[in-house]
Amino acid sequence: MRRLRFRRISWGTVFWVALVWVLLWGDFHPGNIFAGALIGIVVQEVLPLPRVPYSGRIHPFYLFKLVVRFFVDLFVASFQLAAIALNPRRLPRGAVIGVQTRSASDLYLTLTAQITTLVPGSVVVEAIRSNGMLYVHFIDVDFQGGIEAMKQGVLATEERVMRAIASDEELEQAGITR
Amino acid sequence: MLQLLIAHLAAALAAPALVRWLGRRAFLLLAAVPAASAVWALTETGSVLDGAESIIRIPWVAALDLDLVFRVDALSWLLVLMVGGIGSGVLIYSSRYFSSRSTDLGRFAAVFVGFAGAMLGLVTSENLVQLYIFWELTTVFSYLLIGHYSDRVTSRRAAMKAILVTTLGGLAMLAGIVVLGQEAGTYELSSILANPPVGTATATAIALILVGAVSKSALIPFHFWLPAAMAAPTPVSAYLHAAAMVKAGVYLVARLAPGFSTLPIWQAIIGVLALLTIVHGGVRALRQSDLKLILAFSTVSQLGMLILLVGSPFQAGALAGMALLGAHALFKACLFLVVGIVDATTGTRDLNLLSGIGRRMPVTAVIGALGVASMIGVAPFAGYVAKEAALEAIIDGQAALAPFGMPILVIFALGSALTIAYGLRFWWGAFATKRGVTASLEVVRPPLLLVAPPMAMALAGIATALLPGLGETLLTPHAGSYPLGEPGHLAIWTGFTPAFLVTLGAFAVGGTVFLARRHLSRMAFPWPEQWDGDRIYRNTLRRVDQAAAAITTVVQRGSLPFYLGVLFLVAIVGAAPGLFRSTVGANLWFGTDLIVIAASVAIVAATVLVVRARRRVKAVVLAGITGYSTALIFLIYGAPDLALTQVLVETVTLVVFMLVLRRLPVYFSDRPLAASRWVRLSIASMLGLLVAALAVIVPQSRVHDPISDRIPTAAVELGGGKNVVNVILVDTRAWDTLGEISVLLAAATGVASLIFLRHRSTERPRPGSLEDVKATLGAAEPDPIGNLRQPRSADAPTRKANWLVAGMTLAPHRRSVILEVAVRFLYHTMIVFAVFLLVSGHNAPGGGFVAGLVVGIAITARYLAGGRYELSAAAPLQPAFLLGMGLFIAGSTALASMIFGGEILESAILHWTMPVFGEIKLVTSLFFDIGVFMVVIGLLLDILRSLGAELDHQGDVLDEDGEPVRQALEPAGTIERREP
Repeated sequence: MRRLRFRRISWGTVFWVALVWVLLWGDFHPGNIFAGALIGIVVQEVLPLPRVPYSGRIHPFYLFKLVVRFFVDLFVASFQLAAIALNPRRLPRGAVIGVQTRSASDLYLTLTAQITTLVPGSVVVEAIRSNGMLYVHFIDVDFQGGIEAMKQGVLATEERVMRAIASDEELEQAGITR
Repeated sequence: MLQLLIAHLAAALAAPALVRWLGRRAFLLLAAVPAASAVWALTETGSVLDGAESIIRIPWVAALDLDLVFRVDALSWLLVLMVGGIGSGVLIYSSRYFSSRSTDLGRFAAVFVGFAGAMLGLVTSENLVQLYIFWELTTVFSYLLIGHYSDRVTSRRAAMKAILVTTLGGLAMLAGIVVLGQEAGTYELSSILANPPVGTATATAIALILVGAVSKSALIPFHFWLPAAMAAPTPVSAYLHAAAMVKAGVYLVARLAPGFSTLPIWQAIIGVLALLTIVHGGVRALRQSDLKLILAFSTVSQLGMLILLVGSPFQAGALAGMALLGAHALFKACLFLVVGIVDATTGTRDLNLLSGIGRRMPVTAVIGALGVASMIGVAPFAGYVAKEAALEAIIDGQAALAPFGMPILVIFALGSALTIAYGLRFWWGAFATKRGVTASLEVVRPPLLLVAPPMAMALAGIATALLPGLGETLLTPHAGSYPLGEPGHLAIWTGFTPAFLVTLGAFAVGGTVFLARRHLSRMAFPWPEQWDGDRIYRNTLRRVDQAAAAITTVVQRGSLPFYLGVLFLVAIVGAAPGLFRSTVGANLWFGTDLIVIAASVAIVAATVLVVRARRRVKAVVLAGITGYSTALIFLIYGAPDLALTQVLVETVTLVVFMLVLRRLPVYFSDRPLAASRWVRLSIASMLGLLVAALAVIVPQSRVHDPISDRIPTAAVELGGGKNVVNVILVDTRAWDTLGEISVLLAAATGVASLIFLRHRSTERPRPGSLEDVKATLGAAEPDPIGNLRQPRSADAPTRKANWLVAGMTLAPHRRSVILEVAVRFLYHTMIVFAVFLLVSGHNAPGGGFVAGLVVGIAITARYLAGGRYELSAAAPLQPAFLLGMGLFIAGSTALASMIFGGEILESAILHWTMPVFGEIKLVTSLFFDIGVFMVVIGLLLDILRSLGAELDHQGDVLDEDGEPVRQALEPAGTIERREP
């Protein structure tokens, strides 16, 4: 017989799962919240995953800023892309640009990459873990503002991500101020 | 009665354990069970003597008007006594016959007791359908008994022969029973016989039933299975030939004869086949040198006599037949057991090798002599009494039998003479001291328990003969129910009657034949070889095999395009004529919704591009676009459930395709534009046109209100759910779903077994050992951008985070940090979403199928991000376990409602109140849905295991040069065809 032992519960995950559960049902009944929390615990016990190495802190103001800026980018880039696509005379000149990110965490690297990919016109083709390089494809570099601007855009996204959720120490290591 | 049957069943189930515990002594314990039925029959003797019939009725399938009914009259009484008495004797004998080291004794004991139970049920069944069930049970059990030595090819062939022949007859009989039951309006024997139906249908039914009886009783042309069945252990032969199996046919004839023996077709079948069999069996018995085969052909011959007598319409014949039935059971079982003793103690049954056995085993020789005396009809043995009565009956009935009276008498007398000849030859062969044969065989003294059963049977043969009056009293009630003549009498001495003179004549002829055996054995056998049943059987079997192979090579040629072509052509030919006849107009108006138009345009464009695509990946992705666009249309038209399912299925399909495409060539093979492609092109175009036409015409053809209008209210009221699709799946048409998940299970197992060439269980490293395989998966492949992976500087912070359990087992170029992090954060959320879909699916879009797909996709994501070790960690359960468990849960739910008194698969709606949660409503079909959920997860897991992990594993096997060995997936149609 294997000895029964419980794994360490991540209460953040429990909160998240309960929130998802309640939102799915669309009903803030106490029973629902309780059931959601229960599922959160059971899921972690039965289907364990390694603990998330997150040591940061969430700053609501910067998080709000990150989200707003993301939607603005989304909006602007959609029209940009439409303009490129609908202009029959223009031959887009794409490029893959390597960007050296500054954070030491996979989490910020991933979030930066995801946001960059979600914004139309730019796709991360490779994210290299060992040295934090992101290789991003831009559909029309000249139209979008040039290589250097694109690079700075990705780095700015990283800054916004880190300001929103990273710890002071991590910001300092990456050389970013809040 | 029922208790006896249950006792047989329980004993059969307990037999393997008993044998394991007590060894061969367990047979002694098991012998008590058939003995109990014999004792029970004896206690019933009083009521049988009074002519009273005890009936037991147990309600069974009310819908079919089918009750379990058991009736014991004089005929059943006799058979129960035989089945039980001989059965227990043979079991006692078996406790010493088998070596204590012999294997499979547990199975043998179980099957033997089961066989005895089936015979018991057969001879006491009042209902014809019930009788048929027991009939087929004896067939199956006899198959197992004859094939007991399953490592011997003769044994297996003999068993196959027996089951094929008797099942053929059994199926004919089933058809006959159904026709007879419909004609008579009842399936109960006593009612049918009290009021036998007449007409062509009845005659046909009777003929069909007789085919069953005749095949079971090994009459010509089905006689050949019986001698082949000698491959069975001798106790089995004794029981099968004396008391069971072959006697089932005799029983059925005797049972039906009172009602139907005056039918011309009955008399033709019984008369011709029985007379032929008497002569054929007798002649062939004379020519055997194996003692068991002499007895086997003797049984064939005697069965002819038995069927002739009990199948005659005369009361006297029936009485003689029943007497012979009992006598034959005693002497034939006795003789078989004697052969078994000789065989076991000397090691041979060949009468050319045996010599001087009688002197060394005097007791056995005497028992054999008693048995033979009864068989050949020497006074004062049961066989004599029965044969005298039979001859009396035939001679007395000459007038009624005309013009066949004389031939019947002659053949019966000839049969008796042959019996005398081969009976003498049997005893001489087994026990006599022969000149020219060295009696050097080692002889072991047989133990008492081996000798006692045959001795008891031989003595019973004398005892019953000494009390002929008792036998007459007991058997007359049944014989008296025959339509013609007087019952006649059983007696030891009736004076110098014509019958006695015939007997004397038979002895003279038989004795002469025995003395002239040397000359006879040199004579050619007069039976034409091409009429030999065994030969016909073998030829038929070969032709069936050949025809099957020929049809298979034409129909199952292994070509997917051929199969699809046939299916499509059938669809076109079947549906197109209806379309041309249709008078309704076509509705080409699909609405003005912009999204629908856009989606339709996308579908059309993607379809055209799929056909033109040369790259496999391109074709798959384009086909995916049509699927997603269809989901969009579903959504717009208000079917979120369908849309959800469509999107998930499409996603899974894409993933599976990609997994397979890894091992297929990048481009479709380039084939010349041969004629076959034009054929395929035209079939495809026709089918496309047909489906399009159906889509626009069929909705216009509706003349009635659609039933779906009423489904939403019915779903809430009866199924307790607002999601109509889910209620239909798990409640309204749950039987369908149950069938479908069974097919799914079979398909998943098929996929797995096609891919797992070696064995199914992949290696599953313990979590602790993952360090050992760190960065090994794919390490052999070249890294195209390896130079970009250089660390920034020596003092740069290192990243050590483990986002997944086994992500580190992949080589760096196989890892994707984005995928790992995303999967880490989404995995639990997806699981929760799946749980939500499962629980809420009865009222909202969702359900077990969709939820299973979501879990499957979550696991797929982990596999894609973390490799095959991650898959093992994500799903520590075997797919087979999930599949089986899912089907088990669904099946249990189906049955559980029956336990609570509902219909199968009926769902109940439960309400209760709990603190914190408030009122809770639970529909029991949720559990059914959980079963579906698990089967779907199991299927996806099986696919991931086989098409994903197993192919990865094969790719990771390196050859001598360090290059990965890749086994290409074989395209369909090139699988090696096995020659039959």
